[in-house]
Amino acid sequence: MFYSLYLSFTASSLLSPPQWIGVENYRRMFADPIFYRSLGNTAYYALLGVPLGMILSLGLALLLDAKVRGQQVFRTLFFLPSVTNTVALSLLWLWLLNPEFGLINTALEAIGIEGPLWLQSEAWSKPALVLMSLWTVGGQVVICLAALQGVPQELTEAASLDGAGPVKRFFAITLPMISPALLFNLIMGLVGALQVFTQAFVMTGGVQPGSEGGPNQSTLFIVLYIYKKAFQEYDMGYASALAWALFVIITLCTWLAWKFSKSRVHYEGGSA
Amino acid sequence: MRKIGLLILSLLMAGCGGRPGDDRTIVYNCAANTDEIAALKPATEKFFARSGIRVKLNPFSGEQKLYAMIAAGQAPDVFYTNNAVRDRLAAEGRLLDLRPFVENDPLWKKLRPEVRTAALSVDGGIYSLGNWTHTNGVYYNRAAFAEAGLAVPSTDWTWEDLRSAAQTLTRDENGDGKPERYGIFIPAHFIEALEQMNHAPVDHDQLFLNLSPEAKEVYAKYLELIEAGIMPDIRRVQALGMQASQMLESGRVAMLVEAVPHPGLIETLTIDWAVAPLPRFGKKEPRYFRSSSGGLSLSASVENPQDAWRTLAWLISEAEPYQPSPVLAGVPFVTAWEEKYPQIEGRGFRAVWELSEQHPGGDPRYFVRFASWSMGPVMTRFQPWLDRLWSGDATIDEVVAAVPEINSGVEQDLERQVKSTAMEPVWREQLRKALAESKTP
Amino acid sequence: MNFVGKSMGFGRVLRISLIYAALIGLGALFSFPVIWMVSSSLHTLPEVFAQPYQWIPDALQWQNYARAVTILPVPRFLWNTIVITAPVMVATVLSSALVAYGFARFRFPGRDMLFSLCLATMMLPGQVTMIPLYIMFAKLGWVDTYLPLIVPALFGSPFYIFLLRQFFMAIPRDSEEAALIDGASRLRIWWSIILPQARPALATVLIFTFIGTWNDFFGPLLYINSPEKATLTLGLNLMKTQVLGSGVVEWNVLMAASLLVLLPNVILFFLAQKHFIKGISMGASK
Repeated sequence: MFYSLYLSFTASSLLSPPQWIGVENYRRMFADPIFYRSLGNTAYYALLGVPLGMILSLGLALLLDAKVRGQQVFRTLFFLPSVTNTVALSLLWLWLLNPEFGLINTALEAIGIEGPLWLQSEAWSKPALVLMSLWTVGGQVVICLAALQGVPQELTEAASLDGAGPVKRFFAITLPMISPALLFNLIMGLVGALQVFTQAFVMTGGVQPGSEGGPNQSTLFIVLYIYKKAFQEYDMGYASALAWALFVIITLCTWLAWKFSKSRVHYEGGSA
Repeated sequence: MRKIGLLILSLLMAGCGGRPGDDRTIVYNCAANTDEIAALKPATEKFFARSGIRVKLNPFSGEQKLYAMIAAGQAPDVFYTNNAVRDRLAAEGRLLDLRPFVENDPLWKKLRPEVRTAALSVDGGIYSLGNWTHTNGVYYNRAAFAEAGLAVPSTDWTWEDLRSAAQTLTRDENGDGKPERYGIFIPAHFIEALEQMNHAPVDHDQLFLNLSPEAKEVYAKYLELIEAGIMPDIRRVQALGMQASQMLESGRVAMLVEAVPHPGLIETLTIDWAVAPLPRFGKKEPRYFRSSSGGLSLSASVENPQDAWRTLAWLISEAEPYQPSPVLAGVPFVTAWEEKYPQIEGRGFRAVWELSEQHPGGDPRYFVRFASWSMGPVMTRFQPWLDRLWSGDATIDEVVAAVPEINSGVEQDLERQVKSTAMEPVWREQLRKALAESKTP
Repeated sequence: MNFVGKSMGFGRVLRISLIYAALIGLGALFSFPVIWMVSSSLHTLPEVFAQPYQWIPDALQWQNYARAVTILPVPRFLWNTIVITAPVMVATVLSSALVAYGFARFRFPGRDMLFSLCLATMMLPGQVTMIPLYIMFAKLGWVDTYLPLIVPALFGSPFYIFLLRQFFMAIPRDSEEAALIDGASRLRIWWSIILPQARPALATVLIFTFIGTWNDFFGPLLYINSPEKATLTLGLNLMKTQVLGSGVVEWNVLMAASLLVLLPNVILFFLAQKHFIKGISMGASK
């Protein structure tokens, strides 16, 4: 880890001894329009994807926590996309998002909307990737669910006897009780979204150098840019500088989330 | 817990063993699939019986892994490189210069000229030998031509012939503006081949992007096919998630520009197909060419260079499953292919290949316009403009206007490389010189 | 989400039907990939790409599965995968739980700092730490063994340490303090008081670790060289690598093989979630 910090101050391909160049990589980064573009793409993805993922996973977890028969089966179904092989998933999505024959656009057409070109469109490629990511919220759902299972029934029952309706019970008891799990999901969601790579790499990768990152570099996320610099241009020094910039951004976001949560997250065992 | 861990560790150690210890083992990083491994395995046995060299196949590869292996000083002995990667590695002294071997081996003289040209690096060294070469052609659905009452393409057809055939072959029965069958599809990376046919100038050592009038003319013609609705919008094609061969096979397109030979197409097409050469532009002489886009390299850290060289030579000239090899000159290549794939007989394959031998025009390298050094930097900046151009979000004039900006970015990248101490002095000097020459037009 | 009142009658029926409607609708949406995989694994290759797609082909191509099994030496790869996954699961759960307990319950100088550092290791993209790590394992002579894939698990995973810390902090301290007064050691408390109460969380970690390791493609790709040492996921890749652009991916066979690899995940999840629900009710009855 610290080695990569050192590398970020060097011109290095890792194949030859690194050459110290001071803050040159960082200076170059601040003047690099592609860096800003990738930063903007990543921010867009995270701002759209993280809240949606949180809401969806909580909703699904509540649904799966309902006491009805057959929940084992439903839980397994909701988790399926999360365990499915990435290659199979991406092929499926390419097919679903196919502008001409894909199920999504066919459905939109049925209600009279002309669907976008999705992955091939500069405006829609990021929403398409967010849509894909929502499908694999299974992990977050499981965490929410495990937390919901931990909410003592006596508490909700007591509140219910006190005349609290379901909405009030949810906000007064359930939500605070599962807040540690939500904080976890928030932070992991942030870390994951800011490091989004595989989907963009698989779904919008190209065969020619320079064509990775989707139409007009609209899905060139920071980590994809780091990958290109490191492994296609053998510019490990610059890639390390980019990685450390991302590190600072993620740490900052996490810290903010943490600070923000301090007063709102309830730990039954005391906040130590 | 520790103890259990250690126990498991020692068990694993015992089970896994170490690296192959015998001195005459050559590790070959082959990006092969199961079928190819199955074909290669017995071949390596035969090779072992003959030469005493054991070839160990490492099928798990990729750009990150190769990089990691080389950085860790555990490079495989033989591995594939494209020209850009090859020159990067060679400049840092990680590849074995093949010149001493080439000088004493008749194999070099047997290689096709474009393979030899592509093998040369800017410092005069040879760091890879191509294991593949191809020309380009227009694969077409012969049944569709017959059905439309069209004569099949002649070997000297022109762009206008191609355009009018494509127009006739386009079918939009329900008239929704989205044809069920498009006349033609030309993948964007074949535009460079068309530019060559239109006599766009080629300079091997050109480091910067240069859009000639001939290139712009081809861009305009290419876009016109899309606007006329006889070629699918490039984004729609990507969105189909189909390989080009499937588009031809499924009848989505009637013509397709692709590489010749293309084993994937030959093996999978079940329609009545044939192949024609690329069209000429007006009265201009055709400039068919064959290109060799990369090859096999030897690691500088190889323990037994002689054995590694013999393995490399065997792999590119004799080893299954890449036979019959197109890289060797003076062998009856088409006849050999017709023996392996009887279905290609009488489908124009021979004519296309022979034309490529009669007209050794153009640039034999796959990436026509850019030297290996600047290709990455150029494409990173140029590709977004091409994306915009093909999707109708930018005009050719706007792309042309962006060229100086692209090139100034490329120049910065190259100057940074010249300053890097990682590069061997010879290479730095060559690059510095090329950069200085390119800058003064 | 309990309904205590017994006199809700119609409201209750409506509620349950709504829940079922939502579960079935969303369940169908989420099981879509697998349904599609099953469907496409039973098509011929041209049918996979036919437009419009025919969900049930005219003739079911069961031989795709036979071909998948002949291409992939399943028993061998399965064993390799188990040899990696089993120790990783045990090591990850125990070490992460121990470290997480430390972070959740001990006060020591620099604890928060250390915890932040632990989290920070997640925030640097793997792309830049990968090569130095590879060089280290190569120096140890561990390349083409399973050690680089297993040994790191002994140090826990920041992801799970964080997860478990969150759960441990939600566990009331009463019984722990009682045990401390009785003179139990911290390790003993961890083992016999904390871990049983955290069973749902531990089950979660186990499942995640299993899935992560079982499906890990990049780790084995990087460290395994010999074909006979491949894991199932890595083996899948052997079906689609292309040489010289000639490779035609047999998507139908690939889907068949992917389903075979997916199956253990589904079974394990199905069984484990039953387990962690049992764990809850046991915890609740104290």
